[in-house]
Parts: sequence; C-alpha cells; structure tokens
Amino acid sequence: MSTTAQKRGVQVLNETLHAIFAERDDVVLFGEDVLDPYGGAFKVTAGLSDAYPDRVLTTPISEASLFGVAAGMALRGQRPILEIMFGDFIALGLDQVVNGISKFREMYDDQVTVPLVVRAPMGGRRGYGPTHSQSLEKLLLGIPNICVVAASECHDVGALLTAAVDDERPVFFIENKLLYGRAIRRPEDGHIGELAVRESGDPYPVLTFSATDFTEGSATVVTYGGMLPVVLEAVTELVLEHEIFSEVVALSQLVPMELDAVLESVARTGALVTAEEGTLTGGFGAEIAARVQEAAWSDLRAPVRRVAARDGIIPSARPLEDDMLPSVDDVVKAITALDGVRS
Amino acid sequence: MLEIVLTREDANTEYALLAEWLVEDRAVVTAGQAVCVVETTKATVEVEAPGAGTIVQLYGEDVEVELGKTIAYVAESADELAAIDAKAEEKPAPKAAAGDRKATRKAAELAELHGIDLSTVEKRGFITEKDVEELIVAQKASAAPSQGPALAGVSTQGVSLPSTFELDGTSGALEPSYYEKLLREQDEFRALSPAEKVRTLREYGAVVGEDVELGEGSLVVAPRIVISDGVRLGPRTTIVCEEVFAVGSLSQFGADLELRCRRAYLGAGIWGGRSVRIGGGGHRDPWATLTVGDLAFVGDEAFVNVCRPVLIGREVFLTMRSLIVTHNIGHSVLEGFENRFAPVVLEDRSQVGLGAVLYAGARVGAEAIVASNSYVVGEIPAGSFAIGVPAKATGSSSHKLSDARRVDLARRFVDDLHELLALRGHDVSAIEDDGFEIEGTRVVFVQSYRGGVDAPAVVLALDVRGDVPEGVAVLDLLGRRVHGSGGVVVDSVREFCRKRGIKLEPGPWSYPGGLV
Repeated sequence: MSTTAQKRGVQVLNETLHAIFAERDDVVLFGEDVLDPYGGAFKVTAGLSDAYPDRVLTTPISEASLFGVAAGMALRGQRPILEIMFGDFIALGLDQVVNGISKFREMYDDQVTVPLVVRAPMGGRRGYGPTHSQSLEKLLLGIPNICVVAASECHDVGALLTAAVDDERPVFFIENKLLYGRAIRRPEDGHIGELAVRESGDPYPVLTFSATDFTEGSATVVTYGGMLPVVLEAVTELVLEHEIFSEVVALSQLVPMELDAVLESVARTGALVTAEEGTLTGGFGAEIAARVQEAAWSDLRAPVRRVAARDGIIPSARPLEDDMLPSVDDVVKAITALDGVRS
Repeated sequence: MLEIVLTREDANTEYALLAEWLVEDRAVVTAGQAVCVVETTKATVEVEAPGAGTIVQLYGEDVEVELGKTIAYVAESADELAAIDAKAEEKPAPKAAAGDRKATRKAAELAELHGIDLSTVEKRGFITEKDVEELIVAQKASAAPSQGPALAGVSTQGVSLPSTFELDGTSGALEPSYYEKLLREQDEFRALSPAEKVRTLREYGAVVGEDVELGEGSLVVAPRIVISDGVRLGPRTTIVCEEVFAVGSLSQFGADLELRCRRAYLGAGIWGGRSVRIGGGGHRDPWATLTVGDLAFVGDEAFVNVCRPVLIGREVFLTMRSLIVTHNIGHSVLEGFENRFAPVVLEDRSQVGLGAVLYAGARVGAEAIVASNSYVVGEIPAGSFAIGVPAKATGSSSHKLSDARRVDLARRFVDDLHELLALRGHDVSAIEDDGFEIEGTRVVFVQSYRGGVDAPAVVLALDVRGDVPEGVAVLDLLGRRVHGSGGVVVDSVREFCRKRGIKLEPGPWSYPGGLV
C-alpha cells in the first residue's frame, strides 16, 4: 500500500466496496470480468470475489440482460451493484431503465423500490477510440425518477458510493476513467491546494471553489467528474497568469439537477461557463444554461458559455482525441471571452 | 550498472504510478527481489531488481512516471555507485512544477522589484499583487525609524537629507510678535529694500547669512527662518511656512518662486528655475514637509504639492514642468473612488524628465531616471530607466564604462571645448598633448594629475594627487572637485563640465558669464 495520505480513486472505490460488502449482506455485485484474480478491467473489484465468492458474479457480455437481472434483484429486496465495463455500453440497457427500472416505483404505487447502482466508467483521454471513450451522462439527464451521481477527485468518493448503495432510487454512478489513477484530493482546513472550498448538500454534495476565499470572482464555472481537474487547472492558470479570479462549482448529483450552489455563485460573479466532457448539443451545459437564465437572468451580465466535446466521434489517435475533447485552454478561453472578466 | 526501467504493459498507457518502494534507497538488493509497486490503470505490478547490488532510486513514491523511464539504478560495485553519484551531482535540481506555484505572475514581479521573499509570506491560498502591495506598506511602516511628525514615518533610505534638517529646534526663531506682524503686514515687508529685508529679519531673530539676496518683493514668513550664505531669491518670491523655512548656502531660485508648506528644509547649492511653485492643496497639513538635498535641480515651472512629506534627495534633477502630487481629489471614497494621501520620495541622484508626473506614493530609487511625460505610480527601482504611463522600468539608467572608454570621453571633452571656443570666435590654438591654449592659459587633459604642469593652466584629470601650484587649476572630474583657482577660463570650463553633468565642488555654481 502507498504510504502517502492521498489515495487514488481506484483504491478508494475498492476499499469502499469491501466496506459495503462487510456492512450489508444484501449487496451483490456483478459484471463482466469482475472476478479475481483479474478483478475487473480497472481493478475496482479486486479482492472482492475472493472475499465474497457468493455475492460477486461474472456475467456474459449482454448489458441489456444485466440491467434486467439487476432490476429483478432490486425489486426482490437485494441491493445489486452492476459494473458496466465501459460506460459506452449503458446504451444497451437503457430500454430496461427508461421503460422499467425508472418507472416501477410509480407504476406499482410506491409498493416497490428499485435500489440498484449502475457503476459506469466514462470518459476519454486514453486513446480507447470511438466506442470506449464517451461521456454519455447526457443520455440519462432526461430520465425521470433516477439519480445520476458523478464522482470527482475532490469529492469523498467512498461516501458517494456508499450513499448510492443506500439510496432507494436507481442510481447511475459515473466514474471517469482518469479518476482511477488520480490521487483523491479532499479539502483540508477548507482548502484544496490554494483554493478555498465549501461543501454543501447531502448525500451527494456540491463543492464550490474560490481562489479568493469567496471575496471576489468574475465568473463561475460549473462542472462535474473528470472535467473538474481540467477546470481547476484552467482557473488556476488564470489566477497565476492574469489575476482573473473565478469560482468553480463541482456537482456530484447530476439528476435530479439541483443548482442552488450554482445560483449562489452566479449571484456573486455574474457570469457562468459550463464545462463537460460529453458532446456539446443537448448536454449538461445546455440544461444548466436554460435553468440559470430562467432563475437568475438579472444576475447574469453575459450569456452563459458552454465548454464541451465537439459534436463528433472520438478518434483513437491521441492528438486527434485531444483536439476533440475540451481542454484547459478551451476553459481559459471561455472564461476570458466573457464580458467584464476582470484581470 | 543495471537499470530498472518502467516498461509498457499495455498499448493505451503512457504513464504509470510509482506507488511504493519496497526497499529503502541505497539498500542492497538481490536479483529478482521485488523493489517497488507500480500501478497502471489496468494492473498493479511489482517490479523486480534485474540483478544484485545497491539500489539508487531516482523517484519518490506516489509519482506519475512516464513509461520507458529509468526509475532506479542497481550499482554492482562501489565504483559504479560513485559514478552514479557523480553524475547525479551534475544535474541541476528540478524546477518546481507549475502546480507548486502559489504567487501570481503580477505578485512575483512586484515582489522581485521590492526584493521580497515570497516564501516568507504566510497566507493560505494564492499570493496576489494586492497581498504584496500590503506587505510592502507594512514593511515600510515597520522598517522606517521614527522620524518624528516631520517625516511621518517615511523611509529616508537612499535620501541624503540636507544639513538644515538637523538644525537645532530654536535657531532662527523669530520673535513671536514679529512673526505675527509679518503674517499680517506682508505688503509692508515686501516694500522694504533687499538690504532692509535682510536686516529686519536678522533683527527679529532669523538667521540670515552673508551675501544673501532677498530680491525685490521676496517675502519669507515663518516662525523659524534660517537662510545660509549666498542664497538668492528672485524678484517676486513668496515663502510662507507654518513652522520653519531653512535653506543651505548658495541655493538660488529664479523669479516668482512660490513656496508654501509647513516645513521646508532646503539644502545647499540648489538651483531652482523660474516660476517654481511649491505648496498646493493641504500645504498647511501637519505632514506637509519638504526636504530638498544639496545640489538638487528644480526646473522651470516645476510644481510640487506638499500635503504629505516630499523628500528630494541630493543631486536630484526635477526638470521643467515636472509635477509632484501628494494627494488627489475626486469623488467620495465611500462610493469606491480613490482618495489618496501619500508621500513622494526622490532618492539621491534620481532624475525626472520634462513634464513627468509623480503621483502620491511614488518613490523613485537612487540614480533612477524617469523619462519625460511619464506617469509614476508606486516605486521605480534604483538605477533603472523608467518610461511610460504608468512608468515601468525598461532598463538601466546608466551603463558601465571601461577605464579606456572613460579616458576617451574625457579627452573628447577638451576637443569639444576647443571647438566650441573656436566657433564662439575666441582665439584658440592647439597645443600638443591633448589640449589648447586660450588667452595665454593652456587647457589640457591628463589622465592622472601628479603635478608638473606649468602655470597658467587649467587641467582636466580623472585622478588628482600632489600639489597644485599657483596659477594652475586642476579639475578632478571623477572626484568632482576643483583644486586651485582661476579666473574666467576656469569658470568657463566649469560651466562646460556642468552641462555634461559634472558639478564641481566648491560652489558657487552660478555661471557669472565668460567664454562659453
């Protein structure tokens, strides 16, 4: 084990799964290649099948049926955790979600709940190509009665996963692939690095960052998951190079969308940029822009700007992939292009 | 010597995490022994020692390492270990990563300008320009020795105060009743002749030296007045100080000086141009102190506002129409507008170009030059050349001269003077060895004067030792002093040198007229 205090994302998720399995007998995990010694494609389930051989199941490559099995187990009182090896393949199971899992509770007059967790690694920047690199969270944004949670390296990833398992709602738990290898950086004395951080909301908190301890800021950037380190780097660059101070709001709960922290920040800064790794059209940023202009038109001095992947497919070649996905520079440009950003 | 290299485990990975060393640095390892744990996104692997020996680790723990990099050596002998160490010493220490930066670029630049070590700043979060500005103000407040109310804590570092500043607190004190009378009846005093003015001031307690010329209409009103020998004030001078007016010997101002402030301590040999105005808003404030060092130059129509201390150092050039303000005026501070009251300091030998403005809080470092029409806010570093609105240091105010170059320049002085005198129509004849003769006096350059020049002569030299005989004047150009005496030729050469920035002691520095 590493001797340093900061753990990597994969380590936190793995330890949390072990803790959840030790705590609750009703939790079952299944997915492709999750058994030891392989322990899953990203090693999140390492050691779990050795410790709980009856509760960790390896499955055929058939995501639609996995969702169906999970739904049945949940309806019958178990707490299934479904690992989708690459989040791109949630699409195969979405009929189960849209026409079943998300509707059962209301269709059966609240007599049943479907407390399942779908763990889905998303995101690119690894050269995995068009069908293993996407961020498809936006496909889930419009599905009522589910919960979509996205972990970031600054969130308490273990607490998020534990809360997802405890949740009575169906939860999609989004893990950006880069999170696995990155060190988790939690606030200490209200700071992460040089940025002041406030944490609000329960059980899936929002983190709000400020370079000036919330005394000044000329833009808010709202983001989540794997885009958070990109946005923090951009905001830090703007502080160091130009003394442009921004706030960053990192959501962990994407659905149902709750924007109190965003609105509070926008009330201070007067401008908003959204940042997501998924493609631009009809995405996270589009939904937030619509809601924020409706709720806080008078706070905005400039149109909301969106940073996202270009509307296209993700190439395998790394330079082309980099060009496709939103970068630090894209965030910097979006912030500095806002009217009235002060330096 | 064996190397431990991070090998590529899968096609999609470029970095791996060196999670943990299983052995201490410099431990003896055996072939096949697991030495560290490396995590890629797809696997956690132990890396084995390729052979037996002493391990030298090149990375710490919990660091991302590019695949293909050597992470450690295994030295198979003491010689190999020494070789590795020698190689390591050659390498410069790695630079701090961008992520370690705490100070913004603006803050770092400002800190560098003021010699502030940012590692001493105790602050959670980024260090911004504002933080550094506050630090500078705080440092000044704590560093400045108590100077009494006159200087209001302004640092006198780099400023040679005039000797008048050190006068004892009672010299030149007027009889209070006469001071009151002067305040009331200024026109009557103005009507006195220059000689009567001097006599009257002396009579009521002022210290007025020899050869002081209080030109017609000039008026000096202050509870304490010290005017040293040879001071000349122009025809319509008005000086009103609430506490003290003291000026050193040989200082002079052209016509129409107006000087109003609480305390004025002026040095010796100050040359003031025409229509110099000193005072303006707030000139009666408790902090309205003006000090001007010896040999300072205040150009025509210069305006100096004194509501906070204005410290002008020795040999400062404040040229024509330059402007010093110690406060601004404008809209309400409660509405967010700036409302500034701050001292202005010109350290010794600094220069301010034509029409330049020094805003409240400006400090021009020693020997710095501010270009014409520049606008100075904040500090200009010593020795720099600053230009612009706002003025920024763009280079150095002077450059280093080699001895040979200096000799060359000095020699050319004599040639140029020769040419000038000839063009003026004087009868000048060249003589051998760097010089010429005019009106029977030889003017020559010698690098080092050691005597041996026959009278009558004027010698320009860079280094002067030995006696100077009757009829010879030696101008020590670097020591800036005249040895011996002379008449019109010496006066003319001195004036010629003055226009090249060489002001020779002793004074006076007024040119009585002559050949140039």
